[in-house]
Amino acid sequence: MEVFIENENNVTTARFVGRLDTPASQEVTKSIEPILENPTGTIVLDCKDMSYISSSGLRIFLTIRKAAAAKGGNVIVKDINNDIRQVFMMTGFLNLFEIQ
Amino acid sequence: MKEGSLREFIKTEREKKTWGRMALVILAAVILEATSFMQLRFLNQSTRREAEIKTDKVLSTARYEIMDVVDQAEQAVRDNMWITQWCLDNPDSLINVTRRIVEDNPVVVGSTVALVPGYNKKLPFYAPYSYLRDGKLHQTSLATEKYNYPTHEWFIEPLEVGMGYWSEPYLDTNGGNIKMTTYSSPVLDPQGVTGAVITADVSLEWLSKHVGRLDIYPKAFSVLVSRKGTVMIGPVDSLAMKMSLQDMARQIKDEAGMSELIEGMLAGKRGVVSIHTRGRGTNFVHYAPIPRTGWSMAVVIPESEIYKDVRRVSVVCLALQVLGLFMLIIILLSVAKGWMDYQKARDEEDKLESELQIGRDIQMSMIPKVFPPFPERNDIDIAATIVPAKMVGGDLYDFYMRDEKLFFCIGDVSGKGVPASLLMAVTRSLFRNISAQEESPAKIVEGINKSMDTMDENGMFVTFFCGVLYMQSGRLRYCNAGHNPPLIFTDHIHELEVLPNLPLGVESSMVFEEQEMNLLLDDALYLYTDGISEAENPKHELFGLERMIAVLGERRTAWEHMEAMKEAIADFVEDAPQSDDITMLFIHYLNDNSEPKTMARHLVLHNNIQQIPQLAEFVEAIAEEKGIDQAMAMSLNLALEEAVTNVILYAYPDGIDGLVDIEAFIEDDCLRFILSDSGKPFDPTAAPDADVTLGVDERKIGGLGIYLVRNIMDTVSYRYENGKNILTMIKKI
Repeated sequence: MEVFIENENNVTTARFVGRLDTPASQEVTKSIEPILENPTGTIVLDCKDMSYISSSGLRIFLTIRKAAAAKGGNVIVKDINNDIRQVFMMTGFLNLFEIQ
Repeated sequence: MKEGSLREFIKTEREKKTWGRMALVILAAVILEATSFMQLRFLNQSTRREAEIKTDKVLSTARYEIMDVVDQAEQAVRDNMWITQWCLDNPDSLINVTRRIVEDNPVVVGSTVALVPGYNKKLPFYAPYSYLRDGKLHQTSLATEKYNYPTHEWFIEPLEVGMGYWSEPYLDTNGGNIKMTTYSSPVLDPQGVTGAVITADVSLEWLSKHVGRLDIYPKAFSVLVSRKGTVMIGPVDSLAMKMSLQDMARQIKDEAGMSELIEGMLAGKRGVVSIHTRGRGTNFVHYAPIPRTGWSMAVVIPESEIYKDVRRVSVVCLALQVLGLFMLIIILLSVAKGWMDYQKARDEEDKLESELQIGRDIQMSMIPKVFPPFPERNDIDIAATIVPAKMVGGDLYDFYMRDEKLFFCIGDVSGKGVPASLLMAVTRSLFRNISAQEESPAKIVEGINKSMDTMDENGMFVTFFCGVLYMQSGRLRYCNAGHNPPLIFTDHIHELEVLPNLPLGVESSMVFEEQEMNLLLDDALYLYTDGISEAENPKHELFGLERMIAVLGERRTAWEHMEAMKEAIADFVEDAPQSDDITMLFIHYLNDNSEPKTMARHLVLHNNIQQIPQLAEFVEAIAEEKGIDQAMAMSLNLALEEAVTNVILYAYPDGIDGLVDIEAFIEDDCLRFILSDSGKPFDPTAAPDADVTLGVDERKIGGLGIYLVRNIMDTVSYRYENGKNILTMIKKI
């Protein structure tokens, strides 16, 4: 799993590549620390290349969402595949995020 | 045959009893009647005695009256005897004597002093006669050629007997036609020569007017007869002198009575005779003589007269009694009929009951009752029983083996009696029929429930538990329809986790949920009806779950468990009547399935989170083998990862190496994963579900893992056994 974070015009984009399973989530937790430190503006979680997500991954998404909500940031989840959409639906995450 | 003859016997006994009771009542009625007849008899007798006394009194009174007249007449003669003696020499004055006799004595209607012919030379025939006619005194002479007094009885007899004499009644023609009797007495002159006969006439008409009026009974009458039997006073004046007793005897056919009467009266005796006459029935005749006259007086009273009042009373009594008896009989008959009807209804009820019992017995006989049921198998031990309560109830159990699967069920029909029994039979047949082609307990239950559609209008239902045990793998599929949860024996005894669902027959479109678990070697299942848990002792305490678990705690064979339970219940309820069927089914799984042949994959991971990615390959291989799609594979991977992560993170203390064992079984219609670890006991299924409907702020960070496991898998069950957490997850394909 790799995470690429870019910042451009007050839009922070985190691109997740690979499987966001439990061990991967532990690594990703460190990678997204900059976002959590400054969760303002628009935060785009790009899932185009994410093939899998476990509850640990969902926890990371939820952590970002909560942090942004506290600082007035906006979180957008982008390009999730159907399997992950199912998981989002099951867990009620579809209602928590703006999905694009 | 035995039962029939017994029923016949009971019926005969009942009939005997009924007729016995009838006879008793009839006897009582007869005694009652007899008593009243006796009373009537006593009343008759006492009435008769009273009548006798009364009649005697009347007779005496009448006699005294007659005797008084007789005395007066005789006294009148005696009083004038002396003067007459002196007047014999001077016959002219005799007329005055006679006049005085008539005038001074109201009883005397005529009197004469008749000289004995030849006594007085100058007057050979001389009989001056004074008499009353129409209240006036008349005088005449009896010494006429026509009358020729010396020929008359009243003249001859006293001379012959030499003393006072009462003549036979006769019709006197001298002073008009008067029926009379005459007292005549010879008159002796001072020399002792009989010179004349002095008389005093007594009118019979007068006599009958002054005596013999009987007012005791309207139809009673008195009769005075002369010494020859001539009637002097009779019931009708006109009869006087027209008849004699002998004439009467000729008219009255009662010869014996009349002859006794005539004999008695003419002999001057006293007595009572009963005489039967045609027109008046029996008459009682009391008679007694009138002294000196030779007469006899009789009082005649018809029996009917005496008993008139008694008869009237007795007729009324009899009528009332007959009426009462009639009513009694009617009441008796209706009561008897009611009783018979009741008995008949009872008999029919009994018959119906026993026929139902037979019907039920037939049903029950199809249910396996021989234990062990599968003697050739050593992988299963089964025992079952139904102890029926007195009334035909509706408990059932059944089991059979098909294609290496044990199909079993237990059920309890609401209510008792005929409908319950029928419904029980129907349920059992449906179970057999449907399970012959279906191995999903939920489908079996649904099928039975649908077929019962028409039953629901009776408001009846069946609580039902149906299970299918795969003998090889120990897989247990079950579906509960409102029945009490069975007990499961794993490392300890507890209630099997069941969804309540609705009982059968409540809602035909009901979709039943199926559950599943895995039995291991030596696990057992104990199914029962509430007749056991709710068995009541005399103090109205219930047997209860705790007692059941205590009884089942010891290690025994299925059959021994059954017997022990029966005994424990019997000890508990003591003499309290059994109110409900007691039904139990004990299934002991004895197959060593620790290495199931269906196992497809086995993975052992250390409690290191970095090993998680191995799960992906593990699932991929399974998916390939079973031919499932990518989406499903991802779901399974997710569920497995969550469950395994849970163990890796929490089961073992930090720094301690531990293992997670993952087994996957591929079956026809499902995949089964069994996770086991030796960490601290932890039941993930006991954790509450995460609330996925909350918003961002309220949303908790954790709790999603188990939630996902539950949502992805169809069945998740946990148990702790032999120091291991065992989590079974089943996914239907």
